Amino acid sequence: MKIALAGNPNSGKTTLFNAITGKTEYVGNWPGVTVEKKEANLKRKYLFGAHAVRVVDLPGVYSISPFTSEEAITRDFIMAEAPDVILNIVDGANLSRSLFLTSQLLELGVPMIIALNKEDVLGKRGDQVDVAALSKALNCSVIPTTATSQKGLLNLMEKVIELAESGKQGTAQSASKSQAVLDDISRQAMIDEVVKASVVKKRDARQLSFSDKVDRVVAHKIWGLPIFFLVMWAVYSFSISGLGGAMSAYLNDTVFGEIIPDAANGFFEGIGVSPILQSLIVNGIIGGVGAVIGFLPLIMILFFCLALLEDSGYMSRVALVMDRYFKKIGLSGKSIIPMIVGSGCSVPGVMATRTIEDVNEKRMTTILTPFVPCGAKLPIIALFSAVFFPNASWVGPSMYILAIGVIILGGLLLKKLFVWENTSYFILELPEYKVPSLKHAFIQMIDKAKAFIRKATTIILVMNTLIWFMQAYSWSLQPVQDQSMSILASVGSALAPLMIPLGIVGWQFAAAAITGFVAKENVVSTFAILLAAASEQALAVPGGPLSQLFNPVTAYAYLAFNLFSPPCFAAISAMNSEMGSKKWLFRGLGFQLSVGYLLAMVITQVGTIIVYKQFAVGFIPSIFVALGAALGVVLMIRHSEQKRLKLAEVK
Amino acid sequence: MILSKANVGYTGNVLKVDGKEKMKKFLFSLGCYEGQEITLVSILGGNFIVNIKDSRYAIDEAMAKNIVLAE
Repeated sequence: MKIALAGNPNSGKTTLFNAITGKTEYVGNWPGVTVEKKEANLKRKYLFGAHAVRVVDLPGVYSISPFTSEEAITRDFIMAEAPDVILNIVDGANLSRSLFLTSQLLELGVPMIIALNKEDVLGKRGDQVDVAALSKALNCSVIPTTATSQKGLLNLMEKVIELAESGKQGTAQSASKSQAVLDDISRQAMIDEVVKASVVKKRDARQLSFSDKVDRVVAHKIWGLPIFFLVMWAVYSFSISGLGGAMSAYLNDTVFGEIIPDAANGFFEGIGVSPILQSLIVNGIIGGVGAVIGFLPLIMILFFCLALLEDSGYMSRVALVMDRYFKKIGLSGKSIIPMIVGSGCSVPGVMATRTIEDVNEKRMTTILTPFVPCGAKLPIIALFSAVFFPNASWVGPSMYILAIGVIILGGLLLKKLFVWENTSYFILELPEYKVPSLKHAFIQMIDKAKAFIRKATTIILVMNTLIWFMQAYSWSLQPVQDQSMSILASVGSALAPLMIPLGIVGWQFAAAAITGFVAKENVVSTFAILLAAASEQALAVPGGPLSQLFNPVTAYAYLAFNLFSPPCFAAISAMNSEMGSKKWLFRGLGFQLSVGYLLAMVITQVGTIIVYKQFAVGFIPSIFVALGAALGVVLMIRHSEQKRLKLAEVK
Repeated sequence: MILSKANVGYTGNVLKVDGKEKMKKFLFSLGCYEGQEITLVSILGGNFIVNIKDSRYAIDEAMAKNIVLAE
């Protein structure tokens, strides 16, 4: 048995989906959070004797009339999935708009039930919906629900299962047959009648609401931007240097730096395990995975704060504030949403670009979103700032400011390089604000924590074991005394020359950067493993073992290289599916790699001259690289301008 | 009169919607089409906040120029 959830964007489909399936799919209070269909089994509690019920959550649409391709896809999708029942989620707070889709869905001839959702909002407004009258007018059962508090869901699902079962026995109450197929104008007229007959409104929607008053402040022409920066600064500083940072520091320095390795060493020495196995477990596994797990509190707090922010309705307002500025660099205001989501993780961030209609804006957002430091890059930032800049609290936030700068310049450059025509327009629904649910944020946080631990104990663990092996053995599979004779050293050395213009000499950096493409946390754990063999000191303390490899300027450059080079494989694959073409994927990756490389080069070369009054290593090669890059950019811009001219001539 | 010239607080009916077919269809599905009521709630940072059928939307100026209002 299959149930399809359909409804307008931001009507609460995914909230209801999560409630009836027990899943924790991504929800947020702005239109277009769900971009792909999600499937899961119905919870036992809601089965009412039925077996194996699949629930399909579809992305929200306002209409399924086959005029635009996206809507036709949704319609074809419902037809192809052939659900036993369509569960149409209607946002009670936006009833008349929602019913347009409802009336179209009814015509598909699939048994249907309407969940009149967000009943609590209706109640708060003092509006009343005559459910019986609505149900009669539409010839379809209507069940009031509040998905956020699970109110009315038992009743709803009982009716849904009942309808699906009766449909199987061939006594389907096919709602559509009694209704003639309407054209869209008469459809809207019909809905107006239905709404007039079944809704008693106390509130005049034309009047200024509380949300409108808040909007006049937070989306203000002048105040909007500073308020946005203040909010984001509060979120990141609370996560990185506040509570999250303090808890991570304790885990890193004390728990994974001393207590666990000491206990493990003591234990293995006590039972007399071979020193090689002991080294694998203590330096490779505990050291590597521990270096990453230590940052768990920081990431949990970040996701908690982001979930609160996303739940409040503020994200749509940020898009509104940013639209004016982002248009100038070839992006849409909506591009900010992928970027904020991307500050948690680039994968959902890149996927969130799907709500951007204009293809150029969407592509550019897909290329630029991974520049926002994601949760997995936080451990790198936190580690490097703790070691090299212990008294400079500006280093962490400076990475976000640098990211903003890179995004603005990157946008301008991409616009020059690739965009030939700008035809975009901006329209966005502004949902009413709501008090963010702590429970929801907590669930999201636990969910993200689980995913993080899963990643640390699988992909990162395997990588770490491999790295440990590669740094401890030579190609002839003999244990090496000197790391520089190891397999890892020879692999790293092959790539190391490429990093000389960055002022970074040594095979370790290339090796760590490569492991970073598998998962960015690996950069930290690779250093943990490489340095564990050489030093007893904990990794993340001021002046720790990392300072043998970097000075503060090259550390900052290396940090920038890892943040602004292409993201991890998971995010690259998300970019691939959003770009929809290999050509654009490679353009994007090439752009990201160039930006990360050139930025790190400039930081080292210019930084060294300013800070140490001398030339850094690789100064001469870096000049050649810079000249080459400048020439390349000029040629590409000229090429695009010629194309643009040709395009204009054709017109 | 076009929406982008209206004053904050204006309530009236849509006379017609110009522009690309795709945008027109989209506005139609939201309930913004000939004869329907629209209210200009605020103008924030160059965007027009309108009320259509109990919902709030932010529309940029280029789009607001395409919505023609009955006086």
